[in-house]
Amino acid sequence: MARRILIVGNGVAGVSAALTLRARDDSAEITLLSDESDYFFSRTALMYALMDKLPRRAMEPYERKVWDKQNIQRVRARVTNLDADAHTVTLDDNRTLAYDILILATGSAPRPLPLEGDDAVREGRVHFVTLQDLDACERLVHSTARAVVVGGGLIGIELVESLLWHKIQTTFVVREGWYWPAALCREEGAMVADHMRAHGVTLVTDDEVRAVHADANGRVKSVQTKNDKTVACELLGVAIGVVPNVRWLSETKPPPALGRGIRVDERLQTSLPDVYAIGDCAEVIVPNKLDANGEAKRKVESIWYAAKRQGEFVARGLSGAHERYAPPRFFNSAKFFEVEYTTVGDWEDIPEGAESVLLRLPGKTVSARLVHDGSKFIAFNALGSRWDTPVLDQWMDEGRSLEWVRRHLHEAQFDVEFGRAPLRKMQETVLEARP
Amino acid sequence: MRRKGPMGWLAHDVTHRGVTAWMLTIALAMFYVVLYWGDGPNGVNPLDKIAWLLHLGRPGQSGAKWTLYGTLYTLAVTLGGIGMIRRYGHNRYQVVRTMVVVFVQSTFAFSVPLFMKFAGHPEHYFSYFWPLKMYYFEPGFIRSNPAPLVLWSLIGSMVLVPVLGVFFGKRWYCSWVCGCGGLANTAGEPFRALSDKSERAWRFEKITIHASLALTLVTTAVVLASAFVPGNHPVLDLYAVKFRESYALIVSALLSGVVGVAAYPVGGTRVWCRYFCPMAAMLGLLQKAGRFRIRVKKDMCISCGMCSNYCEMGIDVRSYAQANESFTRASCVGCGMCAEVCPRGVLTLENSRKRDPQEQLVQIRLKR
Ligand SMILES: Cc1cc2nc3c(=O)[nH]c(=O)nc-3n(C[C@H](O)[C@H](O)[C@H](O)COP(=O)(O)OP(=O)(O)OC[C@H]3O[C@@H](n4cnc5c(N)ncnc54)[C@H](O)[C@@H]3O)c2cc1C
Ligand code: SF4
Repeated sequence: MARRILIVGNGVAGVSAALTLRARDDSAEITLLSDESDYFFSRTALMYALMDKLPRRAMEPYERKVWDKQNIQRVRARVTNLDADAHTVTLDDNRTLAYDILILATGSAPRPLPLEGDDAVREGRVHFVTLQDLDACERLVHSTARAVVVGGGLIGIELVESLLWHKIQTTFVVREGWYWPAALCREEGAMVADHMRAHGVTLVTDDEVRAVHADANGRVKSVQTKNDKTVACELLGVAIGVVPNVRWLSETKPPPALGRGIRVDERLQTSLPDVYAIGDCAEVIVPNKLDANGEAKRKVESIWYAAKRQGEFVARGLSGAHERYAPPRFFNSAKFFEVEYTTVGDWEDIPEGAESVLLRLPGKTVSARLVHDGSKFIAFNALGSRWDTPVLDQWMDEGRSLEWVRRHLHEAQFDVEFGRAPLRKMQETVLEARP
Repeated sequence: MRRKGPMGWLAHDVTHRGVTAWMLTIALAMFYVVLYWGDGPNGVNPLDKIAWLLHLGRPGQSGAKWTLYGTLYTLAVTLGGIGMIRRYGHNRYQVVRTMVVVFVQSTFAFSVPLFMKFAGHPEHYFSYFWPLKMYYFEPGFIRSNPAPLVLWSLIGSMVLVPVLGVFFGKRWYCSWVCGCGGLANTAGEPFRALSDKSERAWRFEKITIHASLALTLVTTAVVLASAFVPGNHPVLDLYAVKFRESYALIVSALLSGVVGVAAYPVGGTRVWCRYFCPMAAMLGLLQKAGRFRIRVKKDMCISCGMCSNYCEMGIDVRSYAQANESFTRASCVGCGMCAEVCPRGVLTLENSRKRDPQEQLVQIRLKR
């Protein structure tokens, strides 16, 4: 009999698993479940939809006919319970589905921010993670003149940019001393801050939102910060990060082993038989590394390419491949308004006192930071130009020295034709890699 | 999600096939109908009269409408070009490309021919070649023009077009030189996202554009045969005239004018270029065999869809990017907009020496 493969979550992880499986197994009965959308859409495109740059349909990476052609069933429902012994799941419409293999790809949920005064708020408080959040933002922007966004990460700045596009006066509240300390050093954080301010963002650092006030109709009216600043606003965006979407699993009997996310082994299998977990909800093992407690180091790779890799990996494993999953060295790129950002390297592992060379183009938001541990090039951060991340990654693999990398740096540039960032004109400073 | 206010409504409506977009399309179509077929019994077109009023021709001079049309066209390209550069000034490729296309339009496609006309020469468009300009390959043209002009046209079509096509792809012509592309990439910019991205449209395009090329080749062959085959062939001559006339009607007026430009607000900017232009068809074949390609940075695509949405040729760029496949598509005009709008810097245009055929085994690029 054909295997029944049930995938909970139709995000990039679940969909990559489904399509890869289908390419290798013609007969499997593949079902994709989602409580969010009928068709796979790109979560990363939320801001472009909000800014009228993409119609909703264009957020879908595949034409709709693909799912029938690939013979992949889609079910719109929320899974509420899992019975690993019986090999079934229960849906919110009380249906029960049986599986031979269950793949959990439930992604992440916004990290909650409890605030004083929350109870009185019925309208005007948003996250920016799901399609429903996008609906809410679209409903609210036309009745909003001022907004506050909390949280100094990527989702926060994307929401800020979208609100600004709607000509909404926006205050961006960041708890730390500069924008995105998890990814940017102080100097780069300051460059991005200047750029945001030039776009009209009111950036507030070293502060947190403590309370929210609503008007008689329950619409957000203002917020109050820890430093007792009151900011009037009709919309409060909360973007203080995401957490693996696993809460519902702690109540199942028996639950899979949970840490920050669903704990999986090197084949991405959970502690339950025939149950796998992939994408933002999975906590994978980093091979050959120990954490502070001397246990195998674990990591939630909440990033697009990792979800995709994990989806493809689990599908290969289910069709006979014997591989061990290992997260790659971290890399990413993003955009802060017009400023492009590229990073390569595991910044959290940078040893104490590591040095870096910061190259900056005077007067422009263009920089590149090369971090080395005394002998080898170990991390890279750049603003304002494009870089070929696989090349930089390869240099780190090859253990290249700082001098070698500086001589060859132009080979990793990825800017448009005629538009290469002029490395020769960049001024350099030697700085600690971390403040 | 549109911006608030009446201007927000209008900006959205006109670029999203709303009422105002349809009104604009109808207005543009009517303009072209009058331009091509609106001559009165005395040979005077209403647009001639407007041209005389604007001193774009001596009163009474017929054909002044073409000067008016050229002026409006060049104005649209120039103003749209300025808008383009203001908006994408941070992208040097877009700046250089736009400046070149505005320059070519205002000189070779407008003021130079105009100047020739005033000086009493027959006008000549140095930026157009066969097969786009069928006439430049015809015996009538070859016999009656000075040698340098004839040479330029012949060398242009036989040497320049193919050689540059192989080395730089289609883009050197379609988005750097050509007036049709020039208008699309300047004044037409707000409408670029309207192109049809479906696989069905791609299949349709492959048929129509190659049919158009075939029609052009046949027409050229018949015209050349009627002129050069020795002896008297009344049937052939008749066909030569018929073919030429229908080519002028279908291709030049109907498709590149009425459909090509009037469709901007409802079908996107490159309807003519994508489905019908014989020059684009030829350059597309050269491009497939040549060096131009769009390189995809590995594992960086977040499938957001900006590249596909803003592709005026309706190429589903995302389907290649998310599969980590560098690629060359015959229809790509190399405008570079996918690389510009990509928020993750995944794409780059290049003339690559090493051809890296689209062979990597990729799981997700759907094979069914
Ligand atoms: C605004 C924004 C911008 C981002 N930008 C980037 C970026 O630029 N680069 C990058 O690398 N990453 C980015 N990310 C992160 C990226 O989107 C995620 O890493 C990725 O989507 C994870 O995919 P996934 O398939 O694991 O989960 P998800 O995409 O979260 O999909 C999980 C799906 O499962 C459904 N689901 C959950 N529980 C259940 C249940 N019990 N029953 C049924 N269905 C359920 C959810 O509704 C959801 O549809 C961004 C995220 C956001 C929100
Ligand atoms: S715009 Fe860039 S990130 Fe988005 S789908 Fe295209 S290539 Fe991928």
